Amino acid sequence: MSTSRIRWAFVTLSIALFIAAVLELSFGPMMIPMARIPSDIWSLLHGGSGTDEVVLGSIRLPRLLVAALVGAGLASTGAVLQAIFRNPMADPAIIGVSSGGSLGAVLTIQFGLSQLSQWYTPLGAFATGLIVVFVIYRLATFRGRTSIYSLLLSGVAISSFCSSVVTLVLSLAPLDMMQQMLFWLMGGLDGTTWSEFFILAVFVSAGLIIYLLQAHALDVISIGEEQAEGVGVSLQYTKQITLTTSAFVVGACVSSTGVIGFVGLVVPHLLRLWIGPSHRNLIVASAIGGALLLLLSDLVARMALLPVELNVGIVTSCLGAPFFLYLLRRQETTMHRG
Amino acid sequence: MSVGERCALLELQNVSYHGILHDVNLAWSHGQFVGLIGPNGAGKSTLLRILAGIWRPTTGSVYLNGKALSDMSARRRAKEIAYLPQHMPEDVAFTVEQYVEMGRYAYRTPWGHLEPESKEAVTNALNTLNLLDYRNAHLQRLSGGERQRAGIARCIAQGSPIILLDEPISSLDLYYQVDILRRLQRLSHQGYLIVTAIHNLELAARYCTRLVLLHHGRIYAHSSPNDVLTERALLDVFQVSAKTYADPYDGFLRVSYPS
Repeated sequence: MSTSRIRWAFVTLSIALFIAAVLELSFGPMMIPMARIPSDIWSLLHGGSGTDEVVLGSIRLPRLLVAALVGAGLASTGAVLQAIFRNPMADPAIIGVSSGGSLGAVLTIQFGLSQLSQWYTPLGAFATGLIVVFVIYRLATFRGRTSIYSLLLSGVAISSFCSSVVTLVLSLAPLDMMQQMLFWLMGGLDGTTWSEFFILAVFVSAGLIIYLLQAHALDVISIGEEQAEGVGVSLQYTKQITLTTSAFVVGACVSSTGVIGFVGLVVPHLLRLWIGPSHRNLIVASAIGGALLLLLSDLVARMALLPVELNVGIVTSCLGAPFFLYLLRRQETTMHRG
Repeated sequence: MSVGERCALLELQNVSYHGILHDVNLAWSHGQFVGLIGPNGAGKSTLLRILAGIWRPTTGSVYLNGKALSDMSARRRAKEIAYLPQHMPEDVAFTVEQYVEMGRYAYRTPWGHLEPESKEAVTNALNTLNLLDYRNAHLQRLSGGERQRAGIARCIAQGSPIILLDEPISSLDLYYQVDILRRLQRLSHQGYLIVTAIHNLELAARYCTRLVLLHHGRIYAHSSPNDVLTERALLDVFQVSAKTYADPYDGFLRVSYPS
């Protein structure tokens, strides 16, 4: 893949992300003209408290930043897991952290913990997500080696177990709790706070650094585990560190916004077609692309049926699936032609 | 090339592995071209993985210049021993150059940077295998033989004096079978220790300096090709009652199979 093509991709993605961010700040039930945004942010930083400043400072800015971070975290994790599993269908849900997180969240709501403090549900989701990943990892590890096939299969088994427990809890829960649970399960960005942003910022940026340090190992692993071992990759170490990091990053994302599907699957896949398979580029591009996709989806989620707000998870899937299929189709036709 | 001067001595002492290998003792030094032969399931691939340090023997040890392989880090090992697995995935979007660069994994700086000497090693390796014209070609567009050449280039870029290959010619046409073996032979003349699993006995006898015949995870024979490939051995190990004779043109061993 030529360097200029990759550079263009990064420039395009960054400009698109910037535009999406401005739109996200500007659009909403209360429109803020784009031209006013720079001065509003300036005055917000200097303690201004007009309507614009309040809307931006306590609603749209944290929402924008959380959406961008969650998108970046999910998509870059997707890129990493697709390499580890050598499977383009791998996405963050594959390691069980999403279904584990859902189970944890639903249980905290069921047992009334969510009413004691707003932190119990995200914490519960985070903790169970990690526990489930660990269980799956242990099940797939034999004689000090983790088999990708067992990981995949035990991931599917444990995930469907978690899902059925979630369904069971849902069916037994009183109506108001059930609503709360469903809302959480659908994944949404409403009511995001600055503290969520700070937590996510730590997890996602630390995750990205670790992913990038493993980028070259992932390159070799993506063409075969034995090839990787042949050139000196410590396979087991790379698996451990990337799976652990994925669990923490996705756990942080899931616990602040609920399960948002498709971003981690579709973004790295599309970008691989665009900029090639090298993970150094792919991870960064996926982070930008994931942020972009989630911002755009959130924009649609908030504006499509005003004043009703959709859950962003529904929008990512509704937008992502057809687009993904279209591109796959196009890729197939060009491959058969060339 | 400094490879010849880096005296490599690879030794296995009493190596066993989970009922697949039993009490294997072997030792080779630089400049040899060793062929591992034996029926399917005899333990050739397992032996190669243990030699590469990827799998640890359940008992016994592998020594490289007197140092136990199990005490070395994966990167340290990769600088001494290059291993090319049998299966080269076909749907790889990396270019030949990117793939050969992977051979320099162990030399990358912590942040993944490639030093100038690594770039030079990659170019040299591409040159040695006549792949310079293909450097920007995608691996998936190459023929099987060219892809295997890229694999060997990756091993050479690794700068390791020992190269282990698992059946590098088994899926190639005759041209590339000979091409690959001659290239490996040339490398062994330059001082590399080459160890390869191989099924074609006549080609093994023609190019290898030593053969190891494996039978049910044990060494049946380990010597020069003419001493290993006896009619008795073919019968015992492969259960084929073949005749062997010297080729009237070049004197290398030929096998005449039963009709």
